[in-house]
Amino acid sequence: MRCFTFQQRTATKMARSPSAITLAVWKALFLREAVGRLFSGRATWFWLLAEPMFHVAYLVFIFTGIRVSNIGGIDTTIWIMVGMLAYFMFNRTGTQVKNAINANQALFAYRQVKPVDTVLVRGALEGFLMIIISSILLMCAALFNHPITPSNPLAVLEAFFGLWLVGMGFGLVASIFSELVPELGRVINLIMMPLYMISGVMFPIATVPQPYRDWLLLNPVAHGLEAARLGFAGNYHAVPELSIAYIYSFALVSIFLGLALHRRFAQRLTTK
Amino acid sequence: MIIAKDVHKRYLTDHGPGRWVLQGVNFTIPPKLNVGLIGANGAGKSTLLQIVAGVDHPNKGSVERQCKVSWPMGFGGGLQGSLTGRQNSKFVCRIHGHEDDIPDRLAFIQDFAEIGDAFDHPVKSYSSGMKARLQFAMSLAFDFDVYISDEVTSVGDAAFRNKAAAAFKNLADKAGLIMVAHGEATLKQFCSAGIWIHDGKAHWFDQIDDALKAYKDTLKK
Repeated sequence: MRCFTFQQRTATKMARSPSAITLAVWKALFLREAVGRLFSGRATWFWLLAEPMFHVAYLVFIFTGIRVSNIGGIDTTIWIMVGMLAYFMFNRTGTQVKNAINANQALFAYRQVKPVDTVLVRGALEGFLMIIISSILLMCAALFNHPITPSNPLAVLEAFFGLWLVGMGFGLVASIFSELVPELGRVINLIMMPLYMISGVMFPIATVPQPYRDWLLLNPVAHGLEAARLGFAGNYHAVPELSIAYIYSFALVSIFLGLALHRRFAQRLTTK
Repeated sequence: MIIAKDVHKRYLTDHGPGRWVLQGVNFTIPPKLNVGLIGANGAGKSTLLQIVAGVDHPNKGSVERQCKVSWPMGFGGGLQGSLTGRQNSKFVCRIHGHEDDIPDRLAFIQDFAEIGDAFDHPVKSYSSGMKARLQFAMSLAFDFDVYISDEVTSVGDAAFRNKAAAAFKNLADKAGLIMVAHGEATLKQFCSAGIWIHDGKAHWFDQIDDALKAYKDTLKK
């Protein structure tokens, strides 16, 4: 039990309030996760940065090879890079959050640490790291004379934040499913695989004819990618059905569902 | 005070629920009493210990803890392999709300564990004895009303065992203790009361000697 009873308050000198305990646990977990994520192996931090960089480099190489110098009216490199970083914002947050419970099994030896704590803290850390990684990669692009100044910085932040929330919501729900029903975890991984293709990282969604476009746009990540590109370049021909509201509603519903599931199955998750 | 009411426990296996390990365990442990859990292998001693510590949950029934109870010491969990001994210790200090005096507690843990430079090396490079030393030192660094111990006095080499026993004795005098140990001498040294677990039920004995006797009587048959 995280809450101390009244009797205990008198019995022990240092009874802390439930919120104080939660905050202490979050801080400890955040620092621990950060060390683990950045320094657990040889130059782990380098690969965090290198992975999106190589993905961007591949695509830029291919698109340059077939002489595509602009997509939807904007610089190809920026189109690829912004889309890729936005996708990674969702994907990394979602994956890290999804695996949080399993990776922190050992910590549930301490009663203070609840499964939902590890999940929320991982999501926060991943969002924080992706902001830093995105900034570094964009600055690298600036060195190669690509126009990296966003025409509407707030719109870019809005898109990235929305994608982070969608990642959180997906991760919260998936963490419960993959922990309670391991088979569902495999199914979720199967669904995640083609997401890279259908989210519009490699081709503009706007070029897909109807009615298939509407099907692709059921995926909130596709909206997020387009919104981020539009924020960078106001003259970008984004997909006309683009809806920020859809991203945020999806995030709201999935986060609520995830938290509710965590509340409902809190005890089941730590029962052996 | 720890009150267990009608505690039932069975584990979920790949083929549905397994056999009942605990079937209606009831007891009340008054404050500052040292209790030893006795029973055959597989009787449910460690299971009960984990439920009392709040790390596992009963399928039916409840455990009420009206005091500060430690995490179960010495069952090997709670350490992350990729982090150093120092980082693991810091984490435990933080979640127990001792952000302010981390240096003091770290110094204590480092001093007691006596693992030398290894304190700053990843835990995955430790031997099982070193891990046990670290865990034991970590649990001593915090004040609890009741300490839960699963065979911790039997870890490490002879020198460390003596030191651990002395520290444990000191602990047993000022706080409560609930422990599992297979050594009869260990139980007699630290515990005054005993709980004998047999066929999923718990039998309370005010004297540990009586509990040991009841346990041995079933062995002869």
